[in-house]
Amino acid sequence: MAVTTETRPARRLSFGLNRLVLLLVIIYLLLPLGATLAFGLSSPAGILYTFQQIFSDPDFWQTIQLSLVLSLASTLLGVILVAPTAYWVHLRLPKARPLMDFLTLIPFAMPAVILSLGLVEVYGTPNNLLNVLSFGLVPVLSNDPFNIVDTPQLLVCAYVIISLPFVYRPIENSLRAINTSTLTEAAYSLGSGWWRTFLTVIVPNIWPGVISAALLTFSTAMGEFTIASLFGLYTFPIYLDVTGQNDAHKAASLSVLSFILTLLCVLAIIFLVRRGPGRAGKEGDIEIAASK
Amino acid sequence: MDISGTVDTEVTNTAIEDEEAGAKPRRLFRINWGYMLSSWLGLVPFLLFCLLFELLPAVVVIQGSLTDNNTGDFTLDNYQHLLSQSNNLNAFQISVSISLVTALIGTVVGFMAAYGVYSLRSGWLRNFLVGFSSITANFAGVPLAFAFIATLGATGFITVAIQNWFHVNIYEDLHFSLYGFWGLVIVYVYFQLPLMVLIMLPALNALRPEWREAATNLGASGFIYWRRIALPILLPSLIAAAMLLFANAFGAYATAYALAQGNINIVPILIGYATAGNVQVDTGLGNALAVGMIVVLLAAVSLYVTLVRRASVWTGK
Repeated sequence: MAVTTETRPARRLSFGLNRLVLLLVIIYLLLPLGATLAFGLSSPAGILYTFQQIFSDPDFWQTIQLSLVLSLASTLLGVILVAPTAYWVHLRLPKARPLMDFLTLIPFAMPAVILSLGLVEVYGTPNNLLNVLSFGLVPVLSNDPFNIVDTPQLLVCAYVIISLPFVYRPIENSLRAINTSTLTEAAYSLGSGWWRTFLTVIVPNIWPGVISAALLTFSTAMGEFTIASLFGLYTFPIYLDVTGQNDAHKAASLSVLSFILTLLCVLAIIFLVRRGPGRAGKEGDIEIAASK
Repeated sequence: MDISGTVDTEVTNTAIEDEEAGAKPRRLFRINWGYMLSSWLGLVPFLLFCLLFELLPAVVVIQGSLTDNNTGDFTLDNYQHLLSQSNNLNAFQISVSISLVTALIGTVVGFMAAYGVYSLRSGWLRNFLVGFSSITANFAGVPLAFAFIATLGATGFITVAIQNWFHVNIYEDLHFSLYGFWGLVIVYVYFQLPLMVLIMLPALNALRPEWREAATNLGASGFIYWRRIALPILLPSLIAAAMLLFANAFGAYATAYALAQGNINIVPILIGYATAGNVQVDTGLGNALAVGMIVVLLAAVSLYVTLVRRASVWTGK
């Protein structure tokens, strides 16, 4: 009895404290959103006029189109590059797993700003050491027929790199959650080849991981500012920055718009992951993009 | 592909002959070698991509930090410049302190909030809060900076509200600035807190209710349960999460840039100047700054990897 009388108040206190902190955190997270919305609404010209102004700006549509194309390209390239490789490593080369972990963790140690500095230097200035290290590919890629310096193509490659951790992890987790080798052996014994097994057996089973990876890459690329700004390419976040600097009310309206875009992306992740076949991934798969 | 096929059959043929001669170990070695080679070939596209767009940029930054801008000779001058200009050291100090402070606030407050979410009874509210955390953790960069300018800027909604209600101007009377150290901390914490909630929820879900019941049966109070059982189990994930938050804040460029258009003295902004060819920072110095940043982050990431490995002993993954 003595024990219960001691624990009960302590437990209630700690629960109360946690709930209180949670409430304060929610208020803290909602406050800027609410204030931004109110600030946008309180625009002297009226919110409708502001949005009308934004939507009639050709730059808005042009940049959003460029960002959409870039994000789609990065998503496709990222998934096509990583998913078969992760499956291959899982099946044929488990030894290479630490290498994959290492390569997909590097973006944490090399933020976007350093990556863009490095990319500008790799493809911008001739360097003998790099020519040798890249098996002669750098000079090919930085000279005319295939020149990728400061082009959207290089930006797509950079986006694939910065989203590697968010692409590899969910796919690898899904591969671990299913019986990858048993499924593969069954498919092989029924006469299916490697690609057919991958596309018709493995992919449907790791679908939640693939969708989660794809949408995280997409939302990272949509919101990415650093590399685009340092490469001098006019994407949607740059437009946001340039327009917002001149007009605080417009900036608030654009922030609201951008929040709605993020909201749609996250809702799409949640719905597609829940609805998809397999359901291997759970809460842990919904992670964050690297658009800081 | 045909060539490798014939090589493979040849290897098998000789291996069979060898087996007849009684040389078993040699056969195993040879066949595994061919299999290994073709296995690694499947990895080539990915490795090549990583080499071209991930590893070479790192190599060139390190190489650039050790070469002279004009002559191309080996030199340590760039690091000497970095260390001799108080501006650079100051930037490192501010960057590290902002990252430490926001990681600490994020870890402590975020953990309590995550526990609050974990202990919620209703499932839909939990799911709703997880979704809300994903959205706010993704809401970073330029839009976040603008949202805070609209909220706490000089004419922001809350700044004006406080002035109307309490007749206190937080900029003039309290010397607060959104573009200073604490302003940046407030903005960074916005994406750190929900990130922490998202990282900690799976770890909290791994805590089994049986452990708490067993501890209570043996007479442990709530405090003792936390100190002796829950915290030691969660500690590796907590420290790992703190490292991740640190790295997250340390590399943040867009938020700070959009907030003050580059007028905040933190390391990513200085590196951005070097990349965009600003006269204030030369390339060599930019590379040296980048290497300094990589060193700090590598320390954090390697600690993260070690601790995650230790944490996985407990969660049994």
